[in-house]
This record gives sequence, C-alpha cells and structure tokens, in this order.
Amino acid sequence: MKQEPDRLQAGESSTLGSQDNNRIEKPKKKKSGRLLVSRRAFLGVSAAATAALTAGYALKRPGANLIAPPDNIYEETTEEWFATSCLNCPTRCATRVRVQNGNAVRITSNPLSKVSDGKTCPRSRIGLQVLYDPERIQNPMKRKNSQKGKGVDPEWEAISWTQALSEISNNLKSLRDSGTPQKLAIFQGLNSNSVEDMIARFAKAFGTPNVITGDALDDEASKAGEWMADGHYTLSAYDLEKTNYILSFGAGIIESQKPLARNLRMWGKIRRERPNRAKVVVIDPRCSVTAAKADQWIAIKPGTDAALAMAIANVIISEGLYDSDFVSQWTHGFEEYKNLALNSKYSPESASSITGIDADVIRQIAREFADTSPAIAWRGRGATCWPNGSYASYAIFCLNALVGSIDVPGGVTYQQYPEYKEMPEVTEDSVAQAGNAKDAIDLRKKGKFLAANMVTNQAADSIIDGSPYAIEFAIGFNSNFNMAAPGTARWDEAMAKVPFYVHVSPSFTEMSEYADIVLPACSLLEDWAYEHCPPGSGFTEVKIKQPVVSPLHESKTIGDIIFALAYQIGDGVAQSFEDIGDSAEGFVRYRTESLISWNDFRENGVWIGPDYEFYKYDTIFDTPSKKFEFRSGNLEALLKASGYGTVATEDCLPQYKEPEFGGDESSYPLNLVTYQPVMNVANGSQNYPWAQEIYLVMHGYGWMNLIEVNEDTAHENGFKDKDVVWVESPFGKIQARARVFQGIHPEVVAIAQGQGHYADGEWADGIGVNPNDIIGVYYDELSGQSSLFNTRVRVYKA
Amino acid sequence: MELNFVTIEGKSKGYKITIGILAAITLIGLLCFGISYYYGHSVFGSSNVIPWGMPIVLAIYFIGLSAGSLILSTLVYVFGQEQYKPIGRMAVLLAIVLIFGAMISIAVDLGRPENFWRLFMFFYWNNMTSMFAVNGILYGGYFVISIAYMGIILSGSKVWMKRWGCLAIGWAALVHMGTGAIFGFMAAKEAWFSPVKPFEFLTAAITSGIALLIVVMILTMKFTGRDIKKDIVLSLGRLLTVSICVLTTLIFIDKLTHIYAPERAAAMYSIAGPYSWIFWGCQIGLVVIVPLVILFNRKLRTVKWTGLASLSVVVGIFFERYFLVIPQAGFPQHYYPGHIEGVYGAIGSFVLTPAEMGMSIGIATCLGLLFMLGLKFMKTLPEKTEEELVVAAAKLAPPQAETPADASASSEAETSAEVDQPEPAAPETPAEE
Amino acid sequence: MARWGMVIDLDKCTGCQECTVACKEENNVPYGSPEEQERRQDPFWHKVIAASEGEYPSVNIEMVPMPCMHCDNPACVQVCPAIATYRRDDGIVMQNYRRCIGCKYCMVACPYGARAYNYKEQEEHEYHRIDPPPTRDVIGSWPFPYRTHGMVEKCTFCFHRIDAGLKEGKQIGVEVVPACVEACPAKARAFGDLDDPHSEVSKWLATRGAIRLREQMGTQPKVYYLAK
Ligand SMILES: Nc1nc2c(c(=O)[nH]1)N[C@H]1C(S)=C(S)[C@@H](COP(=O)(O)OP(=O)(O)OC[C@H]3O[C@@H](n4cnc5c(=O)[nH]c(N)nc54)[C@H](O)[C@@H]3O)O[C@H]1N2
Ligand SMILES: Nc1nc2c(c(=O)[nH]1)N[C@H]1C(S)=C(S)[C@@H](COP(=O)(O)OP(=O)(O)OC[C@H]3O[C@@H](n4cnc5c(=O)[nH]c(N)nc54)[C@H](O)[C@@H]3O)O[C@H]1N2
Ligand code: SF4
Ligand code: SF4
Ligand code: SF4
Ligand code: SF4
Ligand code: SF4
Ligand SMILES: [Mo]
Repeated sequence: MKQEPDRLQAGESSTLGSQDNNRIEKPKKKKSGRLLVSRRAFLGVSAAATAALTAGYALKRPGANLIAPPDNIYEETTEEWFATSCLNCPTRCATRVRVQNGNAVRITSNPLSKVSDGKTCPRSRIGLQVLYDPERIQNPMKRKNSQKGKGVDPEWEAISWTQALSEISNNLKSLRDSGTPQKLAIFQGLNSNSVEDMIARFAKAFGTPNVITGDALDDEASKAGEWMADGHYTLSAYDLEKTNYILSFGAGIIESQKPLARNLRMWGKIRRERPNRAKVVVIDPRCSVTAAKADQWIAIKPGTDAALAMAIANVIISEGLYDSDFVSQWTHGFEEYKNLALNSKYSPESASSITGIDADVIRQIAREFADTSPAIAWRGRGATCWPNGSYASYAIFCLNALVGSIDVPGGVTYQQYPEYKEMPEVTEDSVAQAGNAKDAIDLRKKGKFLAANMVTNQAADSIIDGSPYAIEFAIGFNSNFNMAAPGTARWDEAMAKVPFYVHVSPSFTEMSEYADIVLPACSLLEDWAYEHCPPGSGFTEVKIKQPVVSPLHESKTIGDIIFALAYQIGDGVAQSFEDIGDSAEGFVRYRTESLISWNDFRENGVWIGPDYEFYKYDTIFDTPSKKFEFRSGNLEALLKASGYGTVATEDCLPQYKEPEFGGDESSYPLNLVTYQPVMNVANGSQNYPWAQEIYLVMHGYGWMNLIEVNEDTAHENGFKDKDVVWVESPFGKIQARARVFQGIHPEVVAIAQGQGHYADGEWADGIGVNPNDIIGVYYDELSGQSSLFNTRVRVYKA
Repeated sequence: MELNFVTIEGKSKGYKITIGILAAITLIGLLCFGISYYYGHSVFGSSNVIPWGMPIVLAIYFIGLSAGSLILSTLVYVFGQEQYKPIGRMAVLLAIVLIFGAMISIAVDLGRPENFWRLFMFFYWNNMTSMFAVNGILYGGYFVISIAYMGIILSGSKVWMKRWGCLAIGWAALVHMGTGAIFGFMAAKEAWFSPVKPFEFLTAAITSGIALLIVVMILTMKFTGRDIKKDIVLSLGRLLTVSICVLTTLIFIDKLTHIYAPERAAAMYSIAGPYSWIFWGCQIGLVVIVPLVILFNRKLRTVKWTGLASLSVVVGIFFERYFLVIPQAGFPQHYYPGHIEGVYGAIGSFVLTPAEMGMSIGIATCLGLLFMLGLKFMKTLPEKTEEELVVAAAKLAPPQAETPADASASSEAETSAEVDQPEPAAPETPAEE
Repeated sequence: MARWGMVIDLDKCTGCQECTVACKEENNVPYGSPEEQERRQDPFWHKVIAASEGEYPSVNIEMVPMPCMHCDNPACVQVCPAIATYRRDDGIVMQNYRRCIGCKYCMVACPYGARAYNYKEQEEHEYHRIDPPPTRDVIGSWPFPYRTHGMVEKCTFCFHRIDAGLKEGKQIGVEVVPACVEACPAKARAFGDLDDPHSEVSKWLATRGAIRLREQMGTQPKVYYLAK
C-alpha cells in the first residue's frame, strides 16, 4: 500500500520537478510545469470539465502547485543562527533566530537563558511578522498636511535621513538657543534598556525634565505599595519555582504578568514537575485564563481587593496564624497594623459585604495562605490600577510579610540588576541645568502626585492647557499613548497641539498620525541593544539584541539616531555622548564588555549574574527602621516633607479606601475592566495575523475583542450572545459584539485591550474597539498611576 | 402494441434558441469552474466544518434521479410492464445524462480536479475501504452499464434487454446505496451517522426518479406535441405513492433511533435546530405531505395534479439533499466534554457564493443540453400517432402543411428551456446564512 | 518500529497557544483573515479549544490543545480513496499532497477537526522556511515550502524532524521533538515512543490516568491527555 504510490511519484517527478530558481528573491515569478500527465487523463472523463480545466490552466497563476523542492535548494541555502532578544513585551526574553538566505525564518527560545529556563511566550515568534510587517515605516517622511487630527491624512512625503536629522537637530538647537530646552518633551513607549539609558542621558544633557514614559499607565501604584513597605519603588519579584501557594490579586500570571515567559515555564514546574503541586487561587472579577487554569477562581467586586487583603490579614492575625518570628524580628509597626486589621470593618463578614466574596471563602483562603508555606500574595494591575491603588498594593504586599514570605525560597525576592560599565558624568551645560531645574509637565512629585515618578496621562492635559509651560517640540520613541492611555481623545488633542512632533518607531501607530516627521526605527530583529530582565527571577540576566538581518528599508537603530542628533546639536549634548561607544553597537559593547567578552555575548546572547541569595534581611529593607514596615515610615516622611503637618497614623497603614468611580452607579450600573490577553503584542501595533487569529483563546475567537458580560447581565439588559451592543460610560460609547458567558462577575463588563487600531495596517485597523476611548481619566494620586478599571458603564443592544 | 421510436428534428428555432441559452449558461458555469480552479475553493462557500457544498448536493441528487429512472426503465424491459414502454428509452437516456452530471459535479468539486482519474484506479492505487473508491467502481460501472443498456435497447434485442436490465437494476441499487453509505458511515458527522442511510437513499432515489420521470415525460410530450398518456401518468403516480410511504417510514425510523439514543443532540439539531425548517418544510412538506395529499385525493387523479405532486417531490428531494450535505454537516463536533467556545463549537455556516451557484447551474444546464441533444440523436421518443400529427398540422399555418416531417419539427418550436428539471431546481436553493 | 505518540498534561498547560504559533512557524502554515475565520476557511494544523461547563460562579473552563491525534485506527485513512493520507509503520498519519485529489472526504470523517483544507494559493513570506528534505528522493509530502490550494493538510507530528533526527542517530523524544513540544513554555507536552516503557511519554502516562478524546469513535488516538 505504501509502495505503489511511490512508483507513481517517480513517474511524475519528471514533469513536476522543474522549478524556478529564484523563488526567494522574486517570490512572484515562478513557472509551473505541472498538469501534463493529469490533464490527458482528465480528458477522457469530461469534455466540458476539460475545457474548463484548460481555461483554468491558462489562467493559472504562475507559481501555483509547486510541491517538490527545487533542485538548487541544496546548493543555495545558507543558514545561520543568531542569539538576540525579544521586545514584544517588557519581559525581554532571550531568543535565537534562524536565518536562511538572509531571511529570518524562525524565532525560538535561547536554551542558555535561565530566567525563562530556555523558553519564551508565544509572541516571541510573532517577531517575524513584526520584522516583515508590510506596513512598516520604510523611510524618513515629512508631513505635508499642516492640519492634524484623527483621521486626517498626514500626506507623507519621503525625505532623506540627512534632511530629517538636520531639520530635527536645528529645531532642537533653537530650543536650546532660546534657553527653553524644557519645552522638548520626549515620549517613551516600550524600548530596549539601552535605549532607555540613552534617552535619559540625552534628556539630561539637553536639559529637559520631560521624559514621559508609559510607566504610569502601567505599574506605578504597585511599585509605590512595595516602596511603602520596604523602600523599593519597583515591581516585586517572586521565587515562583519553589512556592507552594499563590494568591493572585488581579495578576494575569500566565497571560500577561511580567516576566511572562518565566511565569509560563514555572507554571508547568510548580504543577507537575515537583512532588508537591502548588495551589493557585485567582481573585479576579472575570475568569481569566489564569483563573481558568488555577485551582480556584474567586470573583471579586472590582476595586475592593484591599478590603479582601485586610480581611485575610484579619483572619490570619486573629487566629494567630502569622509568622511571629519574622514579624517580631524584622517588621515595624505591626501593632498599629494589627489594630487596624482587627477592626470590625475588616472582619470577614463585613469584607464579604464589600467584596461580594463569602466570608467562609475568605477564611478558607486566609488559612490556606498562612498554613501553606511558602506562599505568595501576588498583586497585578487589576488590584492596583485604581484610585488609592498604592494602598491596595501595600495591603496585599503586607500579606507576604505576615506569613514570612519575604526573601525566602518560594517567597518575595529582591531583583538584582546588572552593573553595566559606568558612563562618564553627563555634561550638563548651563542651558541644560536651567531646563532640568524646571518642573516636569506631568506634575510628578508635585501637588497631589506626591510620590510619583511619572504621571503619563497628566502630560496630555498639561500640553493642552500649556501649563506649566507650552511644549514646542516632541519626540516619541516607540510610544503610542493615543491608543494606550485612558481618554484617548485628550491625547489626540494634545498631539495636534504640539507644534512639531517627531515619531521614531518601526511601524505606524495612532500616535505617528500626528507627527511632522516620522523616522523608521529598527525592529527588534535589526536592533543593537542590551536588555536585562524585569523583576521576577531574582538573579539578573543580560541579553543582547543584535541584528539578525540587515535593517530593512531605510530603518536605523534608535541608538544611532540619538548619537547623530546629539552630535549635531553640539555643546554639552555632544560632549555627553563622546567616549561611550559612538554608535548603537559600540554603546552596547562599551556598556557590557565589563560583564562578558563581546564575542561570547554575541555568541551566547546572555550573561547570567550570580545566583540569588536569600535571607538578606539586614540589608534589603530601605526604610527608616531598616525593617519591613507595616506602618510606612517612607510615606510618613514624604507626607511630612510635603507640608502635611502632623501625619495621622491611619494614613501610613495599608488599608482599603473606597475608590472613586467614573460615573454614578444608578445610571451606569456596571464596571468596565480591561485585560491584556496573551496574544496582545505589547509593542503598540497589532498588525500581526498570527496573533490576531487566535486573539481570545478563552472565547475561541480571533480578529476581534468582545464585550464580555455575564449571562444574567445580558438577560437584564435585553441582549444575547453575539448581539452588537453599545457600551456607554460618562465619557463616550463604543460598539462591538457581545460575548455572554458564565465566567464573569455580573456587575462587570470586560473588554480585551489591544484592539481598535486605526493607523497600523491591514491586520489591525478596524478590528475590535479600544476601551480607552471611554475610560475616564483618574489616578492613584500618590503614585501618578492611571486608574484603568474604575469606569462605570451601561450596556444595551445597538 | 408495437411502438416505433424516433428522434426529434432539432431544426426549429425554439430548439436552437433553447440549445443556445443552455450552452451559454453552461459556459458561464465552466467559467466559474475555471475561477475556482484558479483561485482555489475560497471562492466557494464550503469550509473546514462543512467541507462539501452545492456540487455534492447536485451530485447525490443526480445520482438519485439517475438510479431512480434506470430502475423505472427496467419495469418495461425486465418486468414487461408494457404500458410504460413509451417512456422507457427516455428513462434510460435520462439516467445516462444524470449519472454523467453527477460525475462532473464530483469532479469539479475536487480540489485537484486534474487528479480525478485517481478515483478510478480501481484496487490498484485506490484504498478500497473508502466508500469513495468503492463508489468510483459503482459509478464508473454504472455509466458503462447504462450506455450499453441504451445500446441494447436501441438495437432491440429482447433477451439481452432483459438480462442486461437485471444487471442494471441491481447495479443502480448498489450505486445509490453506496452513495448513502458515503454519508451514513461517517461516525464523526453525528447527524449523518446511520445504518438506515443506504436504504433511505435508495428509496429516495426511486421516489425522486419516478417523480422526475413523470415531470419530464409530461413536459417532453407536451412540447413535442405528443399526447400525454394519462394511464401511464396515473399508474406512475401510484408507484410514487408507494415509494413515498416507504421513504417516510425510513425517515421516521432513522430519526427515531437517533432520538432514542443517549446522544440525541445531533438528531435534535436536525429536527429542531436552526435549519430544521428545511427538514420540515422541504423534506417532510414537499416530499411527503403535499404529494400524498394530492395523490390520495381521488378528485385530483389528473395528469396535471399528478405532475404537480411529482414536481413537489423533485424539488423536495433536492432540498433533502441540500439539508443533508450542508446544514447537517455543520453540526458541531464535541471534541471535549462541555460547551466548546467560539468558532470551534459553532454551528458551521455556509455561504452561497456566485462562483459556486454559477457552476452548479452550469452543470444543470449542461445536463439539459445533453438531454436535448440526446433526443435529437437517439431514437428515444415514441413516434407520433396519426392523431398527434393531424393536430400538429392543424396548428400550423397552411404553407408548410404538405410536409409532415417539417410539421413535426415546427411543432417543437414551442420547446421551452424547461426540458430538464434539475435546472429550475438549482436556482431555487435558498441562501444559507 | 516505534509508535510515536504525544502526551499533553492539561494541568501544566497554560493555554498560551505557543504550540499553535510554533506549528504555523515550523510548517509554513498560512494565516487566515477575519473573513476566513468567519467562514471557517482558515487553516490550522494545531488549535487550542476552550470547553466550558457550569454556571457562575462555579464555571470550569478547560483549554485543550489539539494537534492531529494520529489515530491508530484513523478514520481519515479509512475513507481516503487515493491513499493520499496513510498511516506510516511508525504510526504517523501522513498526508501526501501529490496524491490528494481534494475530495475532502477525510475532513468529513475526522472526529477531531484536525484537517484543514487549503482554500487559496499561499502567499509567500520572507519568513517562510525553505528547509530541503534530507534527500532528493523525498518529493511529495515534504512540507516546505511549497503548497498549493485544493488539498487537505494536517499536522504531521513534525515527521521531518523525526526522520532527520533518526538519520542523525539522535534520541527522538529527548533531543528531537516536534516543534509544538519544543516550544511549549510550560513543558506540558511530551513526545516519544508509546511502545517503549522508558520513553518520556510512557513515563508521563504512568504517573496519572490519561484520557484520549472521543474514545467512543474507536479511532484509537495516539495523543493522550493528563487531566487536571
Ligand atoms: N500578553 C501580554 N502580556 C503582557 C502585556 C501585554 O500587553 N500583553 N503587557 C505587559 C505589561 S506592559 C504589563 S504592565 C503587564 C501587566 O500584567 P497584569 O498586571 O497581569 O495586567 P493585566 O493583564 O491588565 O490584567 C489585569 C487583570 O486584572 C483583572 N482585574 C480588573 N479589575 C480588577 C479588580 O478590581 N480586582 C482584581 N482582583 N482584578 C481585577 C482583570 O480582569 C485582568 O485579568 O503585562 C505584561 N505582559
Ligand atoms: N485600558 C487599558 N489601557 C492600557 C492598559 C490596560 O491594561 N488597559 N495597559 C497599559 C500598559 S500596562 C501599558 S505598558 C501601556 C503601553 O503603552 P505604551 O507605553 O504607549 O506602549 P505601546 O502602545 O505598546 O507602543 C509601543 C511602540 O513600540 C513600537 N515598536 C513595535 N515593535 C518595535 C520594535 O521591535 N522595536 C522598537 N524599537 N519599537 C517597536 C510601536 O510602533 C509602538 O509605537 O498601555 C496601557 N494602557
Ligand atoms: S514574554 Fe515578552 S519578551 Fe518574552 S517572548 Fe513573550 S513577548 Fe517576548
Ligand atoms: S485525528 Fe483525524 S486526521 Fe488525525 S489521524 Fe485521526 S482521523 Fe486522521
Ligand atoms: S481530500 Fe485528499 S487526503 Fe482527503 S480523502 Fe480526499 S484524497 Fe484523501
Ligand atoms: S507535531 Fe508538528 S505538525 Fe503537529 S501540531 Fe505539533 S508542530 Fe504542528
Ligand atoms: S504551548 Fe504548551 S502550555 Fe501553551 S497552550 Fe500549548 S500545550 Fe499548553
Ligand atoms: Mo505595562
């Protein structure tokens, strides 16, 4: 049975074998030598069909039906592997890329990487479609249409790199000449660590405090929470590998949480690669993939995580389940915390009425959390991107200390960072000094944004109001706030108002629509950079980003662009960029050669720091008491310094403060939450068919996002699954298909983030909706974090 | 009764126009096929859930009609039911044309039609556990047998007619049962899976065959100016009644066993799902209720009403095929316990695309064309009786009355495009979602 | 002769779909479009489905990765008239594109929706792999890089990797695994010889009770699932 058909093949191969030689170079020009044998056979069957077949044959597109490989493929195929890294989300995993005949054809993980144990997440592979995205920016372009606005055609005109750079640097120079360097705003989206370092250096040398990163759309509240407790203004790292119990408060552990690839790998490990299987409990208003894969999903009323955390503390303390050794030896302020937690406000019963979770369930998870050691309380953006989110973050983080899961195997760890070679001091000339002394436009560390390092979303309002001063010139490196920040219309207005905007990125996005000049930046596979891992692994790992193919079109690496601009601007700016490598490649080499030899780095792709050491209690707590603080001395000092006079103890304790909502409950009864599904490529564009076609795995749909509601909610509001519905908030309304199912809290509407583009390209534009269009502008004021989940909506059939 | 069979002249304007129109539509169909061959089946409505579309609907419909007519023709040549003799040859011609149409339909529905021959590499390069391969033998054989049968009938050898007729009838039954097996043996398509399917197919074939023959006979006789033999029509009508009753029983049994089984979702989908209106309206309504109401009503035992009942069956069986191939195939598979979310758990949808419709209509007109050519080149129709000739002559203007041959030709001027039934049936197909 | 099989541990699986993407990347499987997904014409050799049970708040949603099951008693092979799909001696159910006539009978027969029809000519992309087969004699079912519309495709258990690995004397299931197994970040998939008690798959199967999908179909799938 197997043999006979092979004879057939041999006979046919003569007619089928002849193929075109230039397939790779000119994919569209191929000849077909097929059909001779079969056509004759077919003749006998049907005269009519044969005529049609002939017609079809004549019409046949060249190149169809080639199945056998061309002979020359054996001689002509060259093949190489490169070690580089991913940048489709901030995890920055090490990857290897296979290159055939100068084309990148395959991305896979780098087995030498320890952070993710030689694995990646699915989006690493989508890098191929990022690189070969047909709608990339091909060359520098200048806007011809002086009008700016959403849907206004910029009328791009190609210009040369020389012209583009000199035009930009002349503008920048004149800003400095008139003594107002602070009127330059630099927007920064997801960039390589080396580019981040260069941008910071450039801004400082230039004299602008206005580097606006996406951080405050991101995790600032979460960071502030940890800072209150232990003085580290950062995300927390967890020793996932050895933990036995995970309590997730709105963290998409296996769909988004950084570092995602590591989380995915460890998930397998803690489930079935050790004798004891870790238990995972997920607290989330919707049944996320993480919740579905966990052992228990607890649907919480949105915005009430702090109350739950305090109730858990209440149970643990009142039942004496806490780690008294750690608490007595290494913590500060436990008594105040205890008094607050034992307040009847936080009894399981009253917390139950706040959170909507059964008091018994609260007791159950509290006991499990305390009894199963080591255990982790993991706070995601769902719990912290809220007004007063810093306090929620603090409350959740404290649970770890309560059960002694601080700097122990299987508990919270303290991320170590690589020591790159120190750069010479920035040459801050007098112009720069004056500029740097100005307040940043995002009002960080000012007024209500006391502890904030960044208030991304405030920048739009400041630009619109022209206060504290007007922005004359802006450069955006891989940013897309017109899409990613709540209240997108404000960004549209702000960007239209900026007199001159330069957008630097590989692909067009909504923000580039407002640019006066766009510059094509290298994508992740053509770039020079170094990357280190975000908090997660504990130990550090540095990864190289090196071009696996020569930059497509006319794109340049951002590093080289910054060097060129710095040199052209001259003065202190140029001086600051001397002797640090002179090019993007040189810069990476300069900074990393102290860690690993350049050849090894390029060969291996990773440098791994020393193993993580636990129990560093005497050094890790960066607080006034040098201990873990249940009553935050850092916050108290800050409040005092800001002239609050006497600071009440309550203000320094973790607690539940009812968040402010956007919209009143009576007319907007539901709560809109967003989430980042695993196929959401976190690089501003979504023009990637591999990601799009499997976008919502839980719902079995791609190429869309959906208005997800509970069956009861849909019933009450008179619509069914798949109906097109409106979601209306006080700030606007959007329309999409409803997804009615059981896995979501009845008071919640969920929409996946990442769709609704209109300026990216064929595979992204017009697909789905952008929830940020209708999300109100609110903050966790302490940290400047944008609140993303507190908007109230109503849903009705369109 | 000794009957002489004649060809038609085929020189009249009407005949030529009809041929022309049919040929034009056929060419459009051909073009559609060319398009599908060039662009791939993306121009069709089929999908990974409902892999087969209109061409397969037509194929099994034609096979049914063909097998039905052939079986009917054996009434004359094997069982000596002489009263049907006037239509015997026509039935065989119809059978040949239809099986040919069925094979074309299958060929053009293949993704690689130039590989059609691989279906006929009997035993050698074929996998004989495949009902397709088995049917390759059955269809191929059937085609050859019916052509030979026609030859024998035309040559007039009574003994061979009988012997060959026996073979033909058996083979025709196999052909249609084999076709039923293609569907009935598919465990993965729960709405199809049934041991009764081959018998249901066979009965449906006979039913639709009889009905089609009644319709075609009435039309052909009418448009060629011959008398419609009422007794033949009525006795065929009685046969139709019987076979409808058998078919109803089989459908009933089939559905009942599935509703009783623990897995009844698929059967419920068929009889109460979103497309069940096709089942109730077309399969039950047009095939069972309408014709039985007419046929059991003594007052309606006329040529016209029997013809209408038959038409209803012909159309109804077409939709029955449609329902089977398309909506029933769309019943979602349960890969895993629970409700499968999204596209993988959704009922398959089907779009009637222009290319697919054009191609299907083209196939039907192609058959009409072949049938008309057959009438012209093969002696299939009974010679006109004296009376008919007189009537025909009288109808004509005096100038041409002298030449009877011409007269008969001219009377075909009224030949309409409606010679063959499948053609109007196809365009009536309603659009599925 | 080995009998290749796969084990997928649903407890380790994260529903991330890297297997699906890796399969597309490895085998140059074309991507679809919104319209094709609506019409279910988009090709997948591997899919991850979600199956839900229960009512709020006690819903249970399971994500199940599904390659071809490489059935020991494959319904597709049984019905293929042209022997275009056949079971190799090592249990891999293969597809020979040269022989396939595109009748789609196998798609009708497969109880796992594992087969995808090629509805349109494939667009060529720079990132398509052009791996040549190990020898020039292998013309036909080698999956790279040319495919044509009008034929049925499906997962091949990455037979090209296995064949090449065997030639090089590598350990299949340890050093050489299918692309989806290699990619899986949770290491939720294992591949190997089901008849060899020391193979990775046999070891996994020994740990817990395994299930196979739709056993009642009698297809004897060689992809096993370890339940949560
Ligand atoms: N696939 C993918 N991965 C990514 C990214 C991406 O875009 N796509 N982006 C990366 C970046 S920049 C970041 S910052 C991280 C963010 O990663 P996460 O911190 O995990 O943030 P989200 O993915 O937005 O998940 C928020 C979750 O919180 C839930 N939630 C909403 N409101 C509440 C609430 O009131 N209480 C609780 N308990 N839960 C709530 C939502 O339903 C959702 O499941 O992910 C990184 N990884
Ligand atoms: N409603 C709601 N809004 C949210 C969130 C949410 O969960 N819900 N999440 C928020 C979060 S966590 C974040 S971090 C922000 C993200 O928002 P931003 O910080 O604005 O980042 P992106 O939108 O991801 O834009 C990234 C840029 O990188 C460019 N780029 C793409 N590929 C490459 C490459 O290979 N190399 C280089 N150099 N550049 C590339 C793109 O063109 C794009 O301009 O969104 C926030 N917005
Ligand atoms: S986790 Fe982020 S950096 Fe790592 S592979 Fe996935 S997208 Fe790339
Ligand atoms: S899963 Fe389907 S395609 Fe795969 S071997 Fe089994 S029947 Fe054939
Ligand atoms: S489509 Fe191809 S593989 Fe499938 S049954 Fe037909 S010939 Fe065989
Ligand atoms: S075994 Fe290979 S072909 Fe099959 S699903 Fe996995 S990657 Fe795809
Ligand atoms: S890659 Fe692994 S973890 Fe991810 S969905 Fe596939 S089997 Fe599951
Ligand atoms: Mo973020």
